[in-house]
Amino acid sequence: MVQKDPEGNETKRLHTFVDFTGRRVLEIGCGDGRLTWQYARKALSVTAIDLEAQDLRLATIDRPSDLAGTTRFVRADSIHLPFVKEKFDLAVLAWSL
Amino acid sequence: MVHALREVHRVMAPNGILVDLRPLDDRWPVEVSSARESREVGRLLDYDFALSSDRAANHAVEQIAAERRFEREREEYFPFLYYWDTPNEMQEYIADEWEDFNGLDDPTLQSARSAWAIGGADSRVRIRMKMLITRWKKMA
Repeated sequence: MVQKDPEGNETKRLHTFVDFTGRRVLEIGCGDGRLTWQYARKALSVTAIDLEAQDLRLATIDRPSDLAGTTRFVRADSIHLPFVKEKFDLAVLAWSL
Repeated sequence: MVHALREVHRVMAPNGILVDLRPLDDRWPVEVSSARESREVGRLLDYDFALSSDRAANHAVEQIAAERRFEREREEYFPFLYYWDTPNEMQEYIADEWEDFNGLDDPTLQSARSAWAIGGADSRVRIRMKMLITRWKKMA
């Protein structure tokens, strides 16, 4: 079984680069939410998108109950984002470019 | 990719921040690691698809910078490690998950097996992935 980044290098670096506190976050390429859970509690809201329905299902199942009101998973393509302009303060391209 | 970045620009508020987090193929080292020591036993192969994907992503971010949609504020590289208990588990994972991107040649696999077999009970195999993180600020 694979173990990814047990040292937490990615999370540490992400929080060094940006403060999520109170931000409206768009995550592109969220997959099963592996990265989402590392910052979602700090954000004001999180909209996490991916094209893979199975991954989004897993993310929704894994979503802690206290994040249900602020973190949502949406099946969407980054080429046509189904959101109005200027909706987000912070966007994360999560291994998706 | 450029279209996607233009879309991101559209949905971001003025002065918004974009973080680009992604692996960069670079013949990632394969290592055998234990509490006592870690050592490199070879490197992964980078396939053309992986290299062309990296080039396309790099081109896309340079394009949006040239369009003055985003301004690069900060950039760093850091390691992201994948661990497996055995070389066979690593081989299987690479074949299943990274087949279009990376390969494991026989000499590297054999070296990993040998080093793992003579290592301590806590020996594991790992791949040291090279990651890039860049923070961009939205311009007008």
